[in-house]
Amino acid sequence: MTTIKSPLSFAILGKCGSSKARVGKITLPHGPVDTPVFMPVGTQGTLKGMLPEQLKAMGVQILLANTYHLGTRPGVDILLKAGGLHKFMNWDGNLLTDSGGFQMVSLLKLAEITEQGVKFESLNEQKDQVMLSPEHSIEIQNAIGADIIMQLDDVVKTTVPDKERIEESVHRTTRWLDRCIKVHQNPSTQNIFPIVQGTLYQDLRKISIADHIKRDVNGFAIGGLSGGESKDDFWKIVHLCTDLLPKNKPIYLMGVGFATDLVVCSALGVDMFDCVFPTRTARFGCALTMVGQINLKKKQYATDLQPIDKDCDCSTCKNYTRAYLHGIVTDLPVACHLITVHNVVFQLRLMKTIRDSILNGTFVEFVQQFMLAIHPDRDYPTWIKDSLTAVNIPLL
Amino acid sequence: MKFNVKTVLQRSPRLGELSQIAGKLDVCLETPLALLHTQAGHIPHITHEVLKLVTQEPHFLQIPVVSMHNYLEAIHLYDGRVADFVGSKDSLTCVTLNDPSNLMKQGHHNKDKVPIFTKRGKVLYDSENYMDMVEKLRPDMYIILSDGDTNMTSSNKRVSKAVENTVSFNQRCIERHKKSEKLKDAFVIAPIAGGYCVKSRKQCLELLSPNEPDVQGYLIDGLHNNGPEVELISFSEVKPIVDYVISKLPPGKLRAIQGCWSPLNIIKLVNSGIDIFDTSYCRILTERSAALTFAIDAGEASESYEINLRHGKFSEDFQPVLKECKCVACQGYSRAYIHHLLTVQELLGSVLIMVHNIHHMLRFFQKIRDSVREDKLNELEDRVAAQIKLLHCHKEQLASSELSRNSTE
Repeated sequence: MTTIKSPLSFAILGKCGSSKARVGKITLPHGPVDTPVFMPVGTQGTLKGMLPEQLKAMGVQILLANTYHLGTRPGVDILLKAGGLHKFMNWDGNLLTDSGGFQMVSLLKLAEITEQGVKFESLNEQKDQVMLSPEHSIEIQNAIGADIIMQLDDVVKTTVPDKERIEESVHRTTRWLDRCIKVHQNPSTQNIFPIVQGTLYQDLRKISIADHIKRDVNGFAIGGLSGGESKDDFWKIVHLCTDLLPKNKPIYLMGVGFATDLVVCSALGVDMFDCVFPTRTARFGCALTMVGQINLKKKQYATDLQPIDKDCDCSTCKNYTRAYLHGIVTDLPVACHLITVHNVVFQLRLMKTIRDSILNGTFVEFVQQFMLAIHPDRDYPTWIKDSLTAVNIPLL
Repeated sequence: MKFNVKTVLQRSPRLGELSQIAGKLDVCLETPLALLHTQAGHIPHITHEVLKLVTQEPHFLQIPVVSMHNYLEAIHLYDGRVADFVGSKDSLTCVTLNDPSNLMKQGHHNKDKVPIFTKRGKVLYDSENYMDMVEKLRPDMYIILSDGDTNMTSSNKRVSKAVENTVSFNQRCIERHKKSEKLKDAFVIAPIAGGYCVKSRKQCLELLSPNEPDVQGYLIDGLHNNGPEVELISFSEVKPIVDYVISKLPPGKLRAIQGCWSPLNIIKLVNSGIDIFDTSYCRILTERSAALTFAIDAGEASESYEINLRHGKFSEDFQPVLKECKCVACQGYSRAYIHHLLTVQELLGSVLIMVHNIHHMLRFFQKIRDSVREDKLNELEDRVAAQIKLLHCHKEQLASSELSRNSTE
């Protein structure tokens, strides 16, 4: 019997003594990924005007791309001819693709979900109805060739109260997982991650996890959150999932990327995050800082000769003032590039600070100081207080 | 900063050198030279950090006042030079009034004032506030305020008004310059106005000649109103004026021209004796999704003069824009990828095209300098001319096939 070398290995390098936070190293076909990691989103095979050369220099180890968009344009044929997305976009770091299911439901009003898959009105004029089945999603993701790929899941909005429908989605997601695994062509180079569903129902989440952990996979994703639910509900589900999922595999929380959420969810034991926010917001002139974001369009920055963040060592903070950025923001594309550089470096720096503090035993202090800086009057939102208390981090 | 002509001939193509630059004594730039056209100090689509991936050579940024006007308040408080303010402290800078890549609005004249159109609307500049701006920006080189609002179709009245304004601006700006401590090292370029009228050009030259000791270069202004149409100007139209003005200029002074001149006309202008250009042509190319692919060196393979990457035929073309090109874009990215980026309106598409175009243009200017040195500029001109001719034939074919298709429908 020949054993296929696993396309993913996960080593835990350190743990927080109090919370569930941990530092790990995922090794993938395109290099290592230090966790907890934030993955910037390059939806259409590019990250908002950044050259991959720049991303590499910043220390980005993994990028996310969207299956729905890439399957539409440039399409499977061209991706295959290009030899996969890594080659097409000149990125030799790691890639992760979603399944396309989320876009179906969020972007397309007329999506209809059946056992077969997600049926939707195509944006393409030639075909009026298209079916994204688990098989088709994996076919596209195999063509893209990302190091981590996602199963197609049956996405239900977290704000839908119909428990019967949610229960159906939990079971269907598992059935679709098996169909995805069955047709997956590249198990030696691409890792398929199941997605835990069940929205805000703890009992359904437990069922979903119990089913998924029986499958031979290298990591898990928590889906169906970050969709408008209250934060008090959100953290409890994350907390439950990280308790029940196996400790020796990476856990990916989909669609989460605000600084506060990254800190809290790292404390809850999540290893991977993604979110369009840091890069999308740059286009509108918003720059991220440890104490919140600043909108450089505001008049007050017209004569502000400081960098965005004096503690940031990105090229934008080293070379440009807020006043300079103010004058070109939302007017010249380079302004978007400059702020994107800062925002991506900001996310990377935050994650590195989290990892370093876990490794040197100061994570609790880091979280306390981080939250205090944002809430200097100690008026902490309940979900932050509750979630951190649940993992033994008392706020100051 | 000093300009020295290295070749002896007066009018014909010549090599020169900009050196002894205050604060950058080790830098020496050879002419004919292309200033890097910028908006607010940035080549469109390219941050200074990306520019470092394109070229490590010292370069000269052309900074239009129209793109800096909204920084008035900030610059007032800022204690540094414009190069630092725009985030590129190692660059040399040349300040000019208008953005050569944008078509100027004509008219809107006031006595002793020139209108510019910023993103917040019309602003009038006169010698005083222009020199205030230049003093704040502290560039290495600047072009004196002028009335350049003339073109091939301008009336005599407009042309003589332009000369009158330009002469008066020159007088006042130079008075200010002489008193300015901050500008004592700045290289001064005086625009010559007068449209397409030799008599007016003569008049302008004569009226400006008393100030000659205070200027280091001249700009042949007033040939066009900037913007994409400059590419289409036929050289035979501008030649008489350019040749006339150059024949009257002191040979030791730098000669500048601005605008989106086509590469072929750039060669012809070099042949007439122009020393300094800008890269605004790269912007208009990039905005129309075109990448330069004309062969620069003898024996270089090239299938066309330029390619439009938006065209569907590139969707599965996995070659680089130009096979032997060493730019960052051609080293790592295919036409198909750039086509994809353009189709889905992603910013990186324009970034990659601009990276290539700037790189190609800088290579082209290096070739011009080498050709002048080796007395082979004619060869380069013939090569580029042949490729442009092909482009025009191709365009006509396309147009006629389009026409016949439309008529059959």
